[in-house]
Amino acid sequence: MAIHHPKTGIRQRLSRAIDAARGRAVVYDLSPWERLLPAIEAHHVETGLENCTNEELQSRAAALRSRSGSFDLDVRFLIEGAALVREACSRALRLRHYDVQLVAGLAMAQGNLVEMQTGEGKTLVAVIPAVLRALQGKGAHVLTFNDYLATRDAVWMGPAYELLGLTVGIVCQGMSADERRAAYKADVTYATAREVGYDLLRQSLIVDLSQAVLRPFHFAVVDEADSVLIDEARVPLVIAGGQDEDFEGHDRTDLARLTNGLLPSKHFHIDDGARTVSFTEEGFDYIERALGCGPLQNEAGRPLMTGLNQALHAKALLRRNVDYIVRDGVIEIVDEFTGRVAQGRRWPHGLHCAVEAKEGVPAQPQGCVLNSIAIPHLIRLYPHLCGMTGTALPADDELALLYGLTTVVIPPNLPCIRLDLDDVLFTHKQAKHGAVVAEVISAHRASRPVLIGTASVEESELYALLLRKAGVDCQVLNAANDAVEAAIIAEAGASGAVTVATNMAGRGTDIKLGGSDGVGRDAVIDAGGLYVIGTSRFESRRIDNQLRGRSGRQGDPGMSRFFLSLEDDLMVRYSLAEWIPAAVRELRRDSPIDDPTVTEKLSVVQRKIEGESCKIRRTLWEYASLVESQRCAWQEEREHVLAGQRRGLLEEHCNDKWNDCRASIAESVLFEVEHRLTLYFMDRAWSDHLLAIEDIREGIHLSSLGGKVPLLEFRKAAFEAFDDMRQSVDEQIVAAFERAEITPSGINDSKEGLLRPTSTWTYLVDDSPFEWLGAISSMANIGLGIAAGLWWPLFVVKALWDKRRKR
Amino acid sequence: MASGIANIGKIPELRRRIFFTLAMLAIYRIGVFVTVPMVDRGVMRKLMAASSGSFLGLFNMFSGGALEQLSIFALGIMPYVSASIILQLLTSVVPKLAELRKEGETGYRKINQMTRYGTVILSFVQSLGIAYYLEGLNSTSTFGSVVSEPGWIPFRILTMITLTTGTAFIMWLGEQITERGIGNGISLIIFAGIVSGLPDALVSMGRQANVGEMTPINVLFIICVLIGVIAAIVFFERGQRRIPIQHAKRMVGRKIYGGHSTFLPLRVNQSGVIPPIFASTLLMFPSTIANFTGWTWLNNLLNYGDWKYNTVYALLIIFFCYFYTAITFQPADVADNLKKQGAFIPGIRPGKRTAEYIDKVLNRITFGGAMYVALVCVLPTLMIAKMNVPFYLGGTSMMIVVGVALDTAQQIESHLITRHYDGFTGPKGARIRGRKARA
Repeated sequence: MAIHHPKTGIRQRLSRAIDAARGRAVVYDLSPWERLLPAIEAHHVETGLENCTNEELQSRAAALRSRSGSFDLDVRFLIEGAALVREACSRALRLRHYDVQLVAGLAMAQGNLVEMQTGEGKTLVAVIPAVLRALQGKGAHVLTFNDYLATRDAVWMGPAYELLGLTVGIVCQGMSADERRAAYKADVTYATAREVGYDLLRQSLIVDLSQAVLRPFHFAVVDEADSVLIDEARVPLVIAGGQDEDFEGHDRTDLARLTNGLLPSKHFHIDDGARTVSFTEEGFDYIERALGCGPLQNEAGRPLMTGLNQALHAKALLRRNVDYIVRDGVIEIVDEFTGRVAQGRRWPHGLHCAVEAKEGVPAQPQGCVLNSIAIPHLIRLYPHLCGMTGTALPADDELALLYGLTTVVIPPNLPCIRLDLDDVLFTHKQAKHGAVVAEVISAHRASRPVLIGTASVEESELYALLLRKAGVDCQVLNAANDAVEAAIIAEAGASGAVTVATNMAGRGTDIKLGGSDGVGRDAVIDAGGLYVIGTSRFESRRIDNQLRGRSGRQGDPGMSRFFLSLEDDLMVRYSLAEWIPAAVRELRRDSPIDDPTVTEKLSVVQRKIEGESCKIRRTLWEYASLVESQRCAWQEEREHVLAGQRRGLLEEHCNDKWNDCRASIAESVLFEVEHRLTLYFMDRAWSDHLLAIEDIREGIHLSSLGGKVPLLEFRKAAFEAFDDMRQSVDEQIVAAFERAEITPSGINDSKEGLLRPTSTWTYLVDDSPFEWLGAISSMANIGLGIAAGLWWPLFVVKALWDKRRKR
Repeated sequence: MASGIANIGKIPELRRRIFFTLAMLAIYRIGVFVTVPMVDRGVMRKLMAASSGSFLGLFNMFSGGALEQLSIFALGIMPYVSASIILQLLTSVVPKLAELRKEGETGYRKINQMTRYGTVILSFVQSLGIAYYLEGLNSTSTFGSVVSEPGWIPFRILTMITLTTGTAFIMWLGEQITERGIGNGISLIIFAGIVSGLPDALVSMGRQANVGEMTPINVLFIICVLIGVIAAIVFFERGQRRIPIQHAKRMVGRKIYGGHSTFLPLRVNQSGVIPPIFASTLLMFPSTIANFTGWTWLNNLLNYGDWKYNTVYALLIIFFCYFYTAITFQPADVADNLKKQGAFIPGIRPGKRTAEYIDKVLNRITFGGAMYVALVCVLPTLMIAKMNVPFYLGGTSMMIVVGVALDTAQQIESHLITRHYDGFTGPKGARIRGRKARA
């Protein structure tokens, strides 16, 4: 009965013991939940669950619902609920939870994050916590990785919920407000975190309570938790609207043309692992001459300089078919982690326009940011939370720190027998290409399905070309042809299939051996299962592991191997080529370097990169949290106003006019006027406040030069800005009321210039190009220690001297 | 200010942190009075009184009188500070350590670990030095023997273990304060050490006044100077030259807010308390060497408190101000950083010319800063020499005390800021600037 981790050698046990002692938030011991399994079984038998009718099942669920008022789930409730869910799923879906799945579900219901290997039935597991919490009657959200999975999972699992008398809702892109409201009213709602976030943002702009679509958050199951909670943490959701921001100055097309003629290292300089770019002296001279303008750095030069910097950034750092693709005259950002087109994502603050100018496509409206929230903050609005993913472990510390989630590692139902071969490292890309093609051909001849994971759209096209030249027919899956994704994946496991993909074929894709009909399954298994070839390592080990995890699902055989070269992006960016002496590099043009330590070294580098990005995320998190607390405070105030709470601001400060008006106009109309003025100015002020915060954040790291802690300075400045905003809102409301013409029918919005943005749209903002690392550090207190360091040898010297003299 | 203090009590988090800090500091102070085994404290105190003003006196001050007490905390926090400096210097020399630092959280943890090991090693060495020193006192002491049973076993070994454990414990206390209390624990412990000497100093000053060694006018004068010096320190420590900066990486559309103006703050006193400490350490070398060798001419060359001493002291301070600023503040790095940020100083080309400009400004304000430090440090020395004022009220310790106090106050302030944002609709009601409700 007991569930064991497959590899429990002395070393593993020891390292787990050490982890536990260090207080790492990882749990391998499943006994707290395993202990419940016999009770669930017993309950199942004793109450005759198996033989009762569907109606009885529903009435038992209803009975459970009436008992679940309290916030915490008691053990009895867990046992009875889990037994019910298991029975319902096996009836409605013909899928009965394995013991491990039950354990995972129970752990999740108690607010943990479970790590389960890919293909272990996470969708089915999610039903347990969703039902248990939905029975509390406040709604449960299952946050899926993308819209497709939301619909698929909801439709697939729907019958089980219905059998228990629970309603299911789906929220997808493009749904109307009424549809959304209905979906959120359901007991269980399947949606992406993004859509929920957008709804929250839209809700923050409503002018009437009846427009609200969301209920207060209660519980969320986060699927692919590491991706949503960590990788997407840097990408805030934004709602924008109104007119475009108007720029003074030069035409972006001209600037794009101008920067296009610049030469690297002569006119500009790329640095910091290709994250920043700046003009050189010569570059400035060239531009000044070309534009025929005076010095660029004068007081009024800021808009032009901004335009130039952005044009240069677009030219030098953002690569077509790697960072973005151009489709139907629109720039579409390719997500770094998922390899997918990030729907509706834009680079902020005009950088997107610069890229549009570079590619010569029409500019999309940008509008001004009305409100924004980052996904981690959205997730933290849920009082109860749990998650599941295939790759939590390398990020468990961060998940514990930011979300208080403990990672529970669930062993696979059948042990994974995939072979992970050592990396093969070449000095030159050419040789790597050849080796990959040769490897594919030999696997293809053995009718083994092959999946080639590449780093970018560009690279995937390149490999497809090479393979076709070599006479191997292959399918290409990348951001540019995501429409046929489902069809390609369905056949990727067929005998002899060759699929070239970006990391789109990572998370959430389920490659079934033998193809969609599963006819050739046995043959494929005999050939050794799916062979995953990676053509480069990614910045995070989790993404590598996701790619590997496409193979060897549910105990199937499989194999994975990475082919690398010293010319790969990752190697170049962190100048790892220096490991190998130049002479050896030249000698080994064609054959791989047989150095067994290379893989290990590479893992160290990846760990280092992960550490760095973790630090960046923590810094961003600390800054963003402050703004988030302001957003919450502001939102709460707005809700009070929305609910009709009055402050009597106008009676107090515009006493004369208020009284005048009251003589001729009904009080309710006046209240309505006050209500609308308040909401209008509150929303506008918040939008301006966000701009002000950006301004503060941009320059605050300089305060460290003055011996201050930037974060503390930021808090101070942000707080002052918030206070200023609150004050100015009241002033604006009062001024607008004094100015406005109030008629018995109220106030004329357009006449008074109080128009709300007529259309709003939502998008994600890719903030990463604007990251700063607060690189300047001040060393104010160090010298104290140096001095102390100078003293102590004196003691020793004196002691020795005394001793000598005594002799 | 008063309302600020009242607010501290209102925020449970802040209240807890402050109580925790005070409790930890109290533990530290109690430990200072626990004497190392086998040492006669009475004899030691008499010896110390005889050698005040020397570098032992300075050391004693930084350890909050622990050396004089021969306490288990005699080494103070200094080995830890030394270890972290050594490691910091090594990180810029040894590439492996530099890499470790880049590894983020795990790297920091490892470096921290190394610092702790380094502290233990340094403590062992220093405590051995102290053990030898104490034994040496036996032969020179005129008040009886300090150490009852000299020799490796048990005295030296015991002393090493005791003092090292003491330092490790203080280090732990400091870390606990940083983590769960308020302010930087390590600086606070140094701060507490210095401040703990103040009451004694005041009492002895009072006694001197009572006995008639000091006239009431002198006492009044000293107090006035003290207040003046503190005010000057606060004023200069917060003094900055702000060079305006323009960021040119984001398009700013609506210009309602006009932008929060950003600037490059160049501190008047960029190098903090380092120059006086360096200078006084250096000035102790001649007298120390004279003590060892018996070359009295060396001792007579620079007499503590005379005009030659003070002149050299002031010149050294000015030199170290420039020296240390040059080490810690690299205009080229700052200019490079600005360039990468897409920022510029209006009218000045990014890159080399910006670096030159910053360098020029820095040189000018450092002159002012150096003058200030020299004055603050030399003035009290004059007073000490002329009026028998206790050493605790010297310029260096004042600068440390004021500096740590300012930093800690800043931290408390930021905690006050994050207090709950009270409601718009709450009891405070509307906020209108400079507007009175019309009746």
